[in-house]
Amino acid sequence: MATKFLFIYLPYISLGIFILGVLYQFWRWARTPVPLRIVIAPAPQTRRGIALRLIGDALWFPSLFKADKLLWAGGFLFHVFLWLVILRHLRYFLYPVPGWVEAIQTAGLYAGYLIPIPLAFLLARRLIFERALYISILGDFFALFLLLAISLSGILLQVFFRTYIVDVKALILGLIYFQPAISDYHWLFALHFVLIMVLLIYFPFGKLMHSGGLFFSSTRNQRANFEKRFVNPWDFPVAYNVQNLFPPEKYRETLKGMREGKKE
Amino acid sequence: MKVPVPIPAIKIGSAGHQVCHPAKAKDMVKIDLPKERPPDWKEAMLKKMAEVLDKYRSVRLFLDICVKCGACADKCQFFLGTGDPKNMPVARADLLRKVYKRYFTLGGKLWGRANESAELNETVLKDWYVYFYQCSQCRRCSVFCPYGIDTAEITMAAREIMAAAGVATKYVTEVVAKVYDTGNNLGIWAPAWKDNCAFLEEDLKDTEGLDIKFPVDAVGAEVLLIPPSADNFVNTNTMIGYAKMFHAAGISWTTSTYCNEGGNFGLFLNYANLKKINNRIIEAARQLQVKKIYWGE
Repeated sequence: MATKFLFIYLPYISLGIFILGVLYQFWRWARTPVPLRIVIAPAPQTRRGIALRLIGDALWFPSLFKADKLLWAGGFLFHVFLWLVILRHLRYFLYPVPGWVEAIQTAGLYAGYLIPIPLAFLLARRLIFERALYISILGDFFALFLLLAISLSGILLQVFFRTYIVDVKALILGLIYFQPAISDYHWLFALHFVLIMVLLIYFPFGKLMHSGGLFFSSTRNQRANFEKRFVNPWDFPVAYNVQNLFPPEKYRETLKGMREGKKE
Repeated sequence: MKVPVPIPAIKIGSAGHQVCHPAKAKDMVKIDLPKERPPDWKEAMLKKMAEVLDKYRSVRLFLDICVKCGACADKCQFFLGTGDPKNMPVARADLLRKVYKRYFTLGGKLWGRANESAELNETVLKDWYVYFYQCSQCRRCSVFCPYGIDTAEITMAAREIMAAAGVATKYVTEVVAKVYDTGNNLGIWAPAWKDNCAFLEEDLKDTEGLDIKFPVDAVGAEVLLIPPSADNFVNTNTMIGYAKMFHAAGISWTTSTYCNEGGNFGLFLNYANLKKINNRIIEAARQLQVKKIYWGE
């Protein structure tokens, strides 16, 4: 029963939470209006320029590079390794395995071996640098420990407790085609698998949503087309307070008097 | 040559005593804000916070996606100057983020402290009042943030929320009230403004022998000049410069006693006053039937 829950129900539950959660967050951001132009200059003036800037932001973090070289190196390496590892794992999901997935197997393997290094660095800097320690919250450590646990269990599975990957592929393809086929797995594989489910469940509700949030960020995705009027969708007409000593009405009367040549 | 700025070690609470003077009731009344903090201030602030979160995507998004990387931490001049950790942009935003998490996210409602959320209480409000008024909204942090998180947006939201329950500073509210009283930030009344202009005309005639007018409230001029009000008060050479330039170019111009200041302190308070203060520039231009507005500051 426990096996059935872990390998059949949990994957569907966690994937459902992941997809619905991410869509829910996107919906929350997308429905909230953008009242002002708060673009960070210098900014591109065209949509194409904005698309390129956002892609650049997502791929090599230029703002972070300006801010902190060491942190940039750690963060950049971690994200590159993470992408390689994820793409390498596509071989368990696709049948037949496409050529490009086969081509990156070696790179993905070494990225998997190396990924604990930037993760350990990101963890260490939170504990060592007093500013980073001050701002760190439980969620930061949770995400780092979770990713470390996933990567270390993955390495152990690769090096010491070799899993019979035909069973793994049967499990995942079974889940994809709604014909679950479970066999006996090593407890370490079960751990690796469940931790990834935990990551999927946690993803939409914590800091990990920075991945999608970047593309909604007004300071990064607005154009610097200042010649075009920016209209606030919830703008309202202003009403003056009767207690102001110099309201527009009084000013209008004064002006009217002046036009008619009256002395004040 | 680039001189590196030494980054101070953190000194907890070192800027906590630098508190702005609270707003006066007589000013608050003039700018449509509660005279003082009502007994149900907490509900008023949370109501305003819900409204702000539904109106500004930036605020909601920036509260959601910060990863606490600390890239902004040593970029804020208020942190570099004081070493107070709550002056790091990320920690400043956290003051609002904690309350946001407690009342507006599932995690905060369910897990409370474990999710680093905080009840809105006197202690939190005191921190808000101290540290959200120690931000100059320069937006330097947003340049270095990998997601472009703009702490000025958070600061403005927090000040708007506090103002809705009658919590604001004397410096800002007094200036905003003065704008509605006199048309400018310095509180120069219309007769004084006219007198200053007449004085500058005389002065120019006596010292340089030039016959140049400083028109005030002249209906039908081509240009309405909105100078910083200090130009008619302390930086008078600048005011003389404007007059000479218009004279040489042969452009008819005027200043307005209803609107003789371009600086907008509503930016430091709330959206309604921000808009009202800028709106009066258009009103003045319509009343004086000018074709163009030249607007400094």
